[in-house]
Amino acid sequence: MELSIDRLTKHYGRKIAVDCVSAKLTPGVYGLLGANGAGKTTLMRMLCAILEPTSGEVRLDGKEIAAMGEEYRDILGYLPQDFGYYPTYTAAEFLSYIASLKGIPRDRAGKRVKELLGMLDLSAVADKKIRTFSGGMKQRVGIAQALLNNPQVLILDEPTSGLDPKERVRLRNLLSEYAGNKIVILSTHIVSDVEAIADKVLIMNAGQFITSGTVEELAEQVKGKVWELTVPNEQARLWQADFTVANYRHEGEDVVLRIISEEEPDPGAVPCKPTLDDAYLYHFGSKEA
Amino acid sequence: MELFVLEHKRLWRTPRVWLCVLLCFVYSVIWGSVIWYQWPGFGTKNDSTNMYDNNFDGYSAIRGYQEEFSKFGDYWTDETLQKMVEEYQSYDVMNLPGLQSKGDWSLASDILRDLYPELKDPENQQYQPLILYADTTKLTDFYQRRADLLEHTLETTRQNEGMTEADKQMLLDMNSQIEEPWPYEWTQGWNDLSFGWSKLAPYLAIALAFLFSGEWHNNTAPLLHTTKYGWKKLARVKVLNGLAFALEFYLLIAGGKVLVQLIYLGTSGWDLPIQYISLLAVAPWNMLQAELYQLAFGLIGVFGYAGLVMLMSALVKNNVLALVFSLAFVYVPDVLGRYLPKWLMAVSQYLPLVGNSYDYLNYNIFHIFGMSVWSPWMLITVPFLIGVVCIPFVILKWSRRQKA
Repeated sequence: MELSIDRLTKHYGRKIAVDCVSAKLTPGVYGLLGANGAGKTTLMRMLCAILEPTSGEVRLDGKEIAAMGEEYRDILGYLPQDFGYYPTYTAAEFLSYIASLKGIPRDRAGKRVKELLGMLDLSAVADKKIRTFSGGMKQRVGIAQALLNNPQVLILDEPTSGLDPKERVRLRNLLSEYAGNKIVILSTHIVSDVEAIADKVLIMNAGQFITSGTVEELAEQVKGKVWELTVPNEQARLWQADFTVANYRHEGEDVVLRIISEEEPDPGAVPCKPTLDDAYLYHFGSKEA
Repeated sequence: MELFVLEHKRLWRTPRVWLCVLLCFVYSVIWGSVIWYQWPGFGTKNDSTNMYDNNFDGYSAIRGYQEEFSKFGDYWTDETLQKMVEEYQSYDVMNLPGLQSKGDWSLASDILRDLYPELKDPENQQYQPLILYADTTKLTDFYQRRADLLEHTLETTRQNEGMTEADKQMLLDMNSQIEEPWPYEWTQGWNDLSFGWSKLAPYLAIALAFLFSGEWHNNTAPLLHTTKYGWKKLARVKVLNGLAFALEFYLLIAGGKVLVQLIYLGTSGWDLPIQYISLLAVAPWNMLQAELYQLAFGLIGVFGYAGLVMLMSALVKNNVLALVFSLAFVYVPDVLGRYLPKWLMAVSQYLPLVGNSYDYLNYNIFHIFGMSVWSPWMLITVPFLIGVVCIPFVILKWSRRQKA
């Protein structure tokens, strides 16, 4: 299975949201990383065939997804960024309703709903109205509905927003386990989520993929550009003004700064092992990120 | 089918929807029919002229009217009119019997005013109604006088309002099909066949305007659009759901009103000609036929309006705008009617639930492709067609991929 994105472009009037993006996605987990407004949601909506591109196309195994229609939607699972629900529905009712829209026969749907409610730790509240749920619980209902039809292409827009650390870990594990021979695309601006599960990371800025690769490859790109420097507390602000500072840690009277810089920022700076966070900041700069 | 059932359940369990239906039922059927028949409409009068001071005895009062007026015979003849006027004149005007308020005296009075104007006393300074002093021996030739007045009225309309000779003849031909003498029973219960269809519009709009736009409001639209059946099939199911709801809503309100009418009036009077409502009407219909027309008008109007509301809901992603635009179809012609050009005002009458459900009492005729079409037929055809035309656009709009 291959999902190919071919020169995909979306304009909103004079604003370019997605700018001639191309990629070939094979089974695996893809992390789409970018600041707010980078074009992630627009790209995902086009990948779901909800939004019509201005130009370019998305093909699944050579077939244009919009033309595939029902065939594509049958293998698609999608969690929109602002997941909507019916306030008067219980979690179980909502999932059963979506299962019906996904064309899952009633007997199979019942089992699948139960299974997903269990997987997402929602069994105890299955018969409670969604409007009474916390943000994290609602998000889990959203994830459950995306997984209902056991989709081959799973697109999750900011799936970890609103989840507490424990829930985030649970989701990561769930997605890692789920992915197998499926294409899972998740967008986020929380680097650690991507770092933990993504096979490949696509970093997006101003509607374009500015770089891509595995977590290690991206980290490798900034090798030799990440430094740790210990400075007196009162000088820390001056360093922050001049460099991209990835971290700021107090150590006694001093401060240890993690600086992203092409050049050694100071003879006292010590090179250190880069992470995906560093790579992200390297591409975006601390302000945009 | 399963999807339809789920969608339909979802619509009905929305608090806004069932509250609307409940309110409409209470207003139209409980208040507008049951209480109306029993109290202000037909309850016997006390001294006050305020109908809300009536006694709460409409059911027995109606039985009383039906019994009291059966003595005037089974057919409307000159003798019926004479006997009715004589009886009225025999009452002490200052001490009229309790049952008189909804008796057929107003029918007799209107007939005297329209058909026997020469009996009016020009010297009458007290402006007493003609029925109080008319010479009953001169109340003759009822049907001939009506025919003459109709001929005169149609001729005046022809000369002043552009009616063609063919139209006039068409109306006279319709009139000639009215069988004479007219059957007679107490008529006042049938004076108001109106179901107040336009009053259903706000309830229907509140229930259906969010059918599509609500999915954007709830943020569920992107989700639904990515499900297997989320596009055309869901749109079709939603449209079907809207129409089914409109039908159920109509059946509940119209059925309730008909049932109450049957309980209070019974079937007595179904065969009376509608000329008792409007003396110069030309439609050869009885009250039952007129009521069936009213019911058809309502059903078509409700379907047509449901189509318009769903179109607004699919076109506009905002709930409030969808509701406002839906209501505008009914209320803008009503509120701005006098400021609109005459042709536009006439066209607006063919919007669902807007037109006059009593148009069968008028003489409006349209010329379409060389054919003369009596307006009441247009009034139940055009709103239906409007609804039908809306539906493909609803589906297309909801099914289309977003551009922005």
